[in-house]
Amino acid sequence: MVSKGLSTSLPQPQKPLYEPFSCEVTAIKELTHTEKLFRLNRLDGLPFSHKPGQFVQVSIPGSGEAPISVSSSTTRGDYLELAVRKVGSLTAVMHQLNVGSKIGLRGPFGSSFDTKSMKNHDLLLISGGCGLAPMRSLIQFVEDRRDDFGRSTIFYGAKSPEDVMYKTELEDWANGDAFTCRVTVDNVSGGTCWDGQTGLITNLVEAADIDVGKTIAVIVGPPVMYKHVIVKLKDKGVSDDQIIVSLERYMKCGSGKCGHCTIEHLYCCIDGPVFRYDKIKELKGAL
Amino acid sequence: MKVLVLTEQKLMEFLASARTAYDVRVPVSLHDGTRVIGRLGEGPLAIKGGAINQKITSIFFPHMETVLKCSNGGFESPEPAPKPMLVVGFTKQDADCLEFIDRFYNDKFRDDVYFNKRDNAVIVCVSGRCGANGKLLKVSGDNCDMELICDGQDYIVRAYTDVGKSLIEDIGSTEIVPEETLEQIEKESDQLCVEGLDLLNAASKLLLEDKVPDEFWQSISDRCIACTSCNLACPTCTCFDVFDRTNGCGIDRWRIWDSCQLDGFMREASGHNPMGQELIRTRRRIHHKLAADVTRWGHITCYQCGRCDNVCPTGIGIMSVCKEMVEKYG
Repeated sequence: MVSKGLSTSLPQPQKPLYEPFSCEVTAIKELTHTEKLFRLNRLDGLPFSHKPGQFVQVSIPGSGEAPISVSSSTTRGDYLELAVRKVGSLTAVMHQLNVGSKIGLRGPFGSSFDTKSMKNHDLLLISGGCGLAPMRSLIQFVEDRRDDFGRSTIFYGAKSPEDVMYKTELEDWANGDAFTCRVTVDNVSGGTCWDGQTGLITNLVEAADIDVGKTIAVIVGPPVMYKHVIVKLKDKGVSDDQIIVSLERYMKCGSGKCGHCTIEHLYCCIDGPVFRYDKIKELKGAL
Repeated sequence: MKVLVLTEQKLMEFLASARTAYDVRVPVSLHDGTRVIGRLGEGPLAIKGGAINQKITSIFFPHMETVLKCSNGGFESPEPAPKPMLVVGFTKQDADCLEFIDRFYNDKFRDDVYFNKRDNAVIVCVSGRCGANGKLLKVSGDNCDMELICDGQDYIVRAYTDVGKSLIEDIGSTEIVPEETLEQIEKESDQLCVEGLDLLNAASKLLLEDKVPDEFWQSISDRCIACTSCNLACPTCTCFDVFDRTNGCGIDRWRIWDSCQLDGFMREASGHNPMGQELIRTRRRIHHKLAADVTRWGHITCYQCGRCDNVCPTGIGIMSVCKEMVEKYG
């Protein structure tokens, strides 16, 4: 017998909400002095079934959980990659992991980049810092479905040459046919070898050749970056509904319960993290 | 037509007999006079006296609870309790709060840790002439399984759900009195003022129309000492933090109530803090229930239980803030 307030027709979960599934680390690659890329396989053999832009809750007993963006596309195979910056207690433990280590995962959670509505559009993929991690899942998807999209451009900004993630892949994207790829760094300290562009990412946007009528701009980066990049895009005539953002919050549950990622009436973990800019631009604290 | 009436002694006997099938929780009086929801026998029965001060929904969403057990590389979720709960002591407002957080915890992802306790639980509301200082408690109606409507001394029993009705059958023979008493209490209940709701609606309208400037929130937040009492007492506050704790044979993952009034509530490991200013946090506490939830759920999620206003040491509970807000901007 179910008492008042509960409907018996409510959906039942397949699995307990807070129970992770186990994964094995199958490869680790150092991306920068603070970021490592972890490739994971599920031990239960089930697919990850993630979409570009979604995140997972990484679970390490004793260290808790942390939300980490997925950095790979399912079009690459039945694995999942996470680019993890060593910045908190759980990520510090992650950086100690070896190939063969086991960790828990929940998810994938959240909204994804709407690749269906992006079809036949030019894409302007703008990321800063470790925002390239979630953006890479979209870049890989677009690269593997090249014929579905128009002209695609990658803009990436990092603080310094040492902070540039996915250096080899950025070179591949720049040299390949699928993308136009530009990288800039804010500062170059003395003695550092850097023959690329220097300056803020807004400079790349300012100089971009955009076909306003058919472009969708996607922005993922540190909080400070959004407002400035959006101003530059709007200067060029890109409208609010052509701008997609992925917002960073510290989700503790991933399921709209813990309340740590609210943006007014929205929950970043279930309504986001990917939002169309016109849907959130009026919400206080969104950007 | 007649209604069933239980004396407090008969009620005790009924609750004691219900323990074979239920984990019975009732208002009890502690040695210092505090009324809390406890197990039968943990203190003298204390049904009379109005709403329980504690966050009543803590029965199903306790201050701290295990959400996961980790041992030998495996994960295990907590099992449902062996017996469902039968909880006496909800007011009408409390039952409304519970109805909301039932929907909240079931939205999109079903929170099985919550529903392990909530599923099959029996909610018994208390109303009538047993409020604090002799005040009338509003009659709940059908937002619970069963209701005890106090006539000043005894309890008129009404059941609304199948489980409530079957429990009434278990009571057996009881004193039966004319229905006039119940009709009189219901009439008085209907006349209980709705000033509080009018105030909340007016404040909600101001917030939805974005007519409350930051200066107002600054003036309120200047009076906030971030004690978090408001959140800890509120039956519809559902925020929690998650942490791991090592025990003798493994690691338990816990959740613990969290408060949006704390600086670290949203702070990320990178240092980015979307609620890094106290005025933003103060606004969030009120705005969330009166505006954000209206947009998301279609209604205000403060049910005027009065707990935050009662516990706030600096007088900025939700009703006080709304009164000030409506006076200034309404």
